Amino acid sequence: MEEIGKPCRRAARSSTEESLFEDEVLETVWEIREKSEAVRLADVVEELGNEESIRRMQANGLIMIQDDKIYFTEEGECRARDITRRHLLAERLFADVLDLTDYEEDACRFEHVISPEVEEAICTFLGHPPLCPHGRPIPKGKCCELYAKKVQPLVQSLKDLEVGKQAKVLFITAPAMDRLASMGLVPGASIRLQQKKPSYVVEIDETTLAVGEDIAKGIYVKQA
Amino acid sequence: MHRHRHRHRDKGYKTGSGYQRIALIGNPNVGKSIIFGLLTGKYAAVSNYPGTTVEVFHGNITLDGKKFLLVDTPGVNSLIPMSEDERVTRDILLSEKPSLVLQVGDAKNLKRTLLLTIQLAEMGLPVILDLNMEDEARDRGIIIDTKKLKEVLGVEVVGTIAPERKGIKTLKAAISQQIPKVPQIKIHYGSVIEDYIERVASYLPETNISKRSLALMILSGDESLRGWLNANLEEATIQKLEDLRDECQKKVKRPVGLIVNEIRFKKAGEITNMVMKKSPQKGGSLSVYIGRASMHPFWGLLVLLLVLYGLYEFVGVFGAGILVDFLEETIFGKYLNPMFIKTIEAIIPVKFLQEMFVGQYGLITMALTYAIGIILPITTTFFIAFSILEDSGYLPRLAIMSNRVFNIMGLSGKAVLPMVLGLGCGTMAVMTTRILESRRDRIIATFLLALAVPCSAQLGVILGMLSALSAKALAIWLFSVLGVLLFVGYLASKIVPGEQSEFFLEIPPIRMPSISNVTVKTAGRAVWYLKEAVPLFMLGTFILFVLDKLKILGVIEKITSPVVVGVLGLPAKTTEAFLIGFFRRDYGAAGLFAMAQDGLLTPVQTVVSLVTITLFVPCLAHFLMMIKERGLRMSLTMLAIIIPVAVLAGGVLNWILRTFDINI
Repeated sequence: MEEIGKPCRRAARSSTEESLFEDEVLETVWEIREKSEAVRLADVVEELGNEESIRRMQANGLIMIQDDKIYFTEEGECRARDITRRHLLAERLFADVLDLTDYEEDACRFEHVISPEVEEAICTFLGHPPLCPHGRPIPKGKCCELYAKKVQPLVQSLKDLEVGKQAKVLFITAPAMDRLASMGLVPGASIRLQQKKPSYVVEIDETTLAVGEDIAKGIYVKQA
Repeated sequence: MHRHRHRHRDKGYKTGSGYQRIALIGNPNVGKSIIFGLLTGKYAAVSNYPGTTVEVFHGNITLDGKKFLLVDTPGVNSLIPMSEDERVTRDILLSEKPSLVLQVGDAKNLKRTLLLTIQLAEMGLPVILDLNMEDEARDRGIIIDTKKLKEVLGVEVVGTIAPERKGIKTLKAAISQQIPKVPQIKIHYGSVIEDYIERVASYLPETNISKRSLALMILSGDESLRGWLNANLEEATIQKLEDLRDECQKKVKRPVGLIVNEIRFKKAGEITNMVMKKSPQKGGSLSVYIGRASMHPFWGLLVLLLVLYGLYEFVGVFGAGILVDFLEETIFGKYLNPMFIKTIEAIIPVKFLQEMFVGQYGLITMALTYAIGIILPITTTFFIAFSILEDSGYLPRLAIMSNRVFNIMGLSGKAVLPMVLGLGCGTMAVMTTRILESRRDRIIATFLLALAVPCSAQLGVILGMLSALSAKALAIWLFSVLGVLLFVGYLASKIVPGEQSEFFLEIPPIRMPSISNVTVKTAGRAVWYLKEAVPLFMLGTFILFVLDKLKILGVIEKITSPVVVGVLGLPAKTTEAFLIGFFRRDYGAAGLFAMAQDGLLTPVQTVVSLVTITLFVPCLAHFLMMIKERGLRMSLTMLAIIIPVAVLAGGVLNWILRTFDINI
């Protein structure tokens, strides 16, 4: 099994041009490796250009190049996993929570600036998602390992809440949210999930509300 | 505008300068209509589901010599309207200048009640708050300190338990003796929004409600206000307001309407915490368990089957069987009709006129016998059963159970309310489509109601005929009609433009139906039926009589015979049933009933004719209501689709039954 969550030496987050480029290379190599066994230098060069700088990374101890194929060093792999993880988490955050559609570029910038603490908080907030919005696996972090030992995510959608549990509404991205709001389903409201099938039924104080799955998906709660 | 639209059912009240207007406002299903009834002595339909009142009712009341005009309105969750019926209510406040708002609230749901009070306060309207259903609150361990609430709000607060008439006297006294006061609630929406409220307000004219509240509606993006804006402001000003709204929206990031709503809820919560005490409940009551079981994926199905079985036994077996036998065959067949025939023949010597009253197409022997002998007992038993279902709070739970099925037809489970009501009377049901969110939903629901939902009268006759044949016949009819409903609904969902709306519905508590409300409601509906149906039965029969005398009936039967005889495989005389089906759906079915009784229809013909007439055109009243709600063009389009679909479905069924030689 892949070793996870091991802290690795990170390039200074001052985001020098060089470290930014290194990150791009590492991320690209990681992504190609997801799909194929060997990563050809030519493919990476085609994607990012600047063969010279890529070769220089060998000297920095991040990658090894043999027979025109690129391999990670231990440190390189660690950094590649981190940067990919931050990128894909950012995508999830932008797509699911902020409901953005055009987030690619922002996710690329975001990945370079967040600290491990923020990264972990986002991961927990999102409920340790296994895949990015495009279906790529998100590398696991230390927090995910803990989660595997049954730590409840901070935020989950109503869809994932257990039947019979109490929870507090944190935010709502569901369609028709204005109408739900006027019936008392607002951030801060305490709710209880009565059932999920054949439709979701939630109790808010003395109000009982039935909602379809599309709406339930967009109601984010924190279990009480 | 709504006043002339609803003149049929909302009448018998006086307006004028001598009458102070009181608007009855409140959340859905808090008992506004029952309070209205207790104050005015007029009955407005009371049920246990949100959206019973979709139109406005007026009634007069005189207290201590002062005269009032009370206006019952559809329930609202917010005075920024989200649906057509909510809009009706807001518009009354906006343009009818009520001198007092009587807000009816659910005592166990004080927070939501206060959300409305806050909005009324912002509008600057004087309010008396009636906290209804104190008993239900008490059962849930909720006690409200009304005295303290009175102090906090600065208005009169009265607690009531409407079905027991508790607190009604105090309420009447409050209305007649108190000087109406505006609730003292001030809310600050943050500097940005407050700034824009002021800027928007500066462009607004003086009206019945405060500029501040109008500004908040505009900033919240209330589209339903557009008509009012167009009527009261210049185009350039409206443009300016829209720019201000967009500007404000940009500054606060999240939708202004939601922010405003959240701040109001927070305030409502604060007040609630000051005046409400909640002690832990001692276990759930029986009604809570029944309520939960009836929406459970497994137990819910059992409850549904039980309900259907009960309906079948009460309406099908008791109403359409025992009662019809007694009324039609015994009362009319043995006593009334022979007596009428004798009397008429004795006093009217002209044969032509005799036949008009007591002949084959006689006003008495056909129209009255059908209307009172066959249809009345069936509709009455249905309305009793339906009223019990309505008052129990089961119908919204049925929406939960059937949401997925309705999704196939591009509708949400909420559409179950108009559809089930359609089993009572399609005309009423078309009006109830107003509770649906989008125009698309209302179009699909109206169309399917007209096509495949038989009304109680028709359904009763159909059930009666089919259960006389075999269970298989009933099953074939049911599957054919449901199949067409689902298939055509599916097609409609693909054709009618727009997105499918999301399903959400408030579920009321299960309550024990009160015998008196069921009785009053059933009686009201039965009287309504008699008033509406009997004249149409008479008219239909008279037209048949004339057509018959002029020998046109034979011609029509010949013209339609390729379809009726050829495609459907039915006797030519069935055309008569389809013809009178234009007047009343149930009348058409009753015609088939009589034919089957006389042995003119084989079992296969019975099933085919019943499937066809179920799908066939809605009755005249239903069609007029469609025109009123959906417009003439849309209604004619629907009709143009319905007729071929009905004939096609009947034809296909006829072909299948005959080709595969299926015995019924």
